[in-house]
Amino acid sequence: MESTWGADLSGLVNGLLTALTLTVVGFAAALVLGLLAAACRVSPVRPLRAVGTLYVELFRNIPLLCLLVLIVFGLPDVGVLLPLTIAVVSALAAVNGAFACEAIRSGMNAVPAGAIDAARSLGLGYGATLRLIVFPVALRRSLQPLVNVFISTLLGSSLASAVGVVDLIGAAQIINLREAWGLALFAAAAGVYVAIALGAGALGIVLERRWSRT
Amino acid sequence: MTSSRTLALAILLTSAALITGCASPSVPGGSGNPGSGSTGYDDIVASAPVASAAEIEANPWARAVRDAGVLRVGGTDLARLWSLKDPTTGKLEGFDAGLSQMLSRYILGEVHTELTPVSVDTRETLLQNHAVDAVFATYSITPKREAKVDFAGPYYQSGASILVRSDTTNIRDVADLAGKTVVTQSNSTGVTALREHAPDAHVVTFPDNVQCVSALTQRRVDAYVIDESILLSNAVSTPGLKVVGTPFTSDPYGIGLPKESGAKAFVNQWLSRIIADGSWARLWKATIGTVVEGSAPTPPVPVPAG
Repeated sequence: MESTWGADLSGLVNGLLTALTLTVVGFAAALVLGLLAAACRVSPVRPLRAVGTLYVELFRNIPLLCLLVLIVFGLPDVGVLLPLTIAVVSALAAVNGAFACEAIRSGMNAVPAGAIDAARSLGLGYGATLRLIVFPVALRRSLQPLVNVFISTLLGSSLASAVGVVDLIGAAQIINLREAWGLALFAAAAGVYVAIALGAGALGIVLERRWSRT
Repeated sequence: MTSSRTLALAILLTSAALITGCASPSVPGGSGNPGSGSTGYDDIVASAPVASAAEIEANPWARAVRDAGVLRVGGTDLARLWSLKDPTTGKLEGFDAGLSQMLSRYILGEVHTELTPVSVDTRETLLQNHAVDAVFATYSITPKREAKVDFAGPYYQSGASILVRSDTTNIRDVADLAGKTVVTQSNSTGVTALREHAPDAHVVTFPDNVQCVSALTQRRVDAYVIDESILLSNAVSTPGLKVVGTPFTSDPYGIGLPKESGAKAFVNQWLSRIIADGSWARLWKATIGTVVEGSAPTPPVPVPAG
């Protein structure tokens, strides 16, 4: 058979790009969800606290694969047909948003009560206090846990191939059908994930140093 | 809090029940007690030939299986018509499953198999590791795979066909798939068939047949391509679907065996024997023949080609 190296390589690169897109978009959405949920969980309004708690306890405790299958194959039966990539990003964001919320909430404990009292005495409202005083400190404090959430989003994105999105793992499977390279290709894909995760960890350390200087 | 936990738990358990099918790492299966069923399937397996002690003794691979007392099979329990686990009995039924059960009977004198689920990524490795004795998994014979494992057979000539919704009028044959969204099973030859015959189709893959059918009925995709027998079975079991055109590929399925283990000659000899005595055709009739009209096709001749 003629050489298919070019096609194989571009398949893998496309798969990697898909994995990275899923991860970055999923993580960004998870951060937004996490911030909103954290704001709810510390809010003085009881129903909001309940919503925040319900969200976290629900999505923190559902295996990602279950959620993916429910979204991809369950929702169409009630008339909601999401495109596959949107479905994967939603699932990644929902689950990792719950973890991001808890990471941010733990960071909030590092905000001195005096700082909040000072903000309130200056006339800042609840939203402004959160935005200007609490979140900047809390995010810095929760940087390392958030790196963990990023890595969990990255690794979770590899389940995309189970619901028909061709990420790096999916691309490897397609190539294996023809080339029969077997686990060697899987080992290479694992190496790529490790490299990205290490990169994310290193970036987290750099950011932490930079922020602690200011 | 407590109530939200309970809700989460309920959803979790439901999802887990849905999921276990495609995520279970290793399940034993197919250890049968022949003749207990009423389908005729068990009787067909139970009437398959048994090798003489001398024949087993003469072959190192068969001897090892006999000494272990079990045939370790690489396969699946999710493939309708080929190897599907009956949830009430826990036994595997299908054309691939039946052949593996017949082979275990041939060597052991009784049906005793142990299933290791395999995927396209693990089949060669499991054979090279000697973690399984044989792979029965709609396993297409290709030169690249033959470099790593031996194939007995072919024992079946597969042909990919097209399944669409009954209201579809613009897909009649493989040429019409260009520009359409087409689903097939991740581990199947459908992926390569589509790449060769319908390169302009947008291909989506799901791990098993049920998910592919859902994608079609939920209008996520326009067509489903895989071995015609599976599509015919879907068209029978799911209203609102139809098979169009005739098969556009010819794919020889073989039994994967460890390389240079002596297994290939032994298994080919067994294949010739079950073809000659009609066991092959009876098994076809009881499995694939339940959805494909007409009598059993002429089986491909097992070739001892290297």
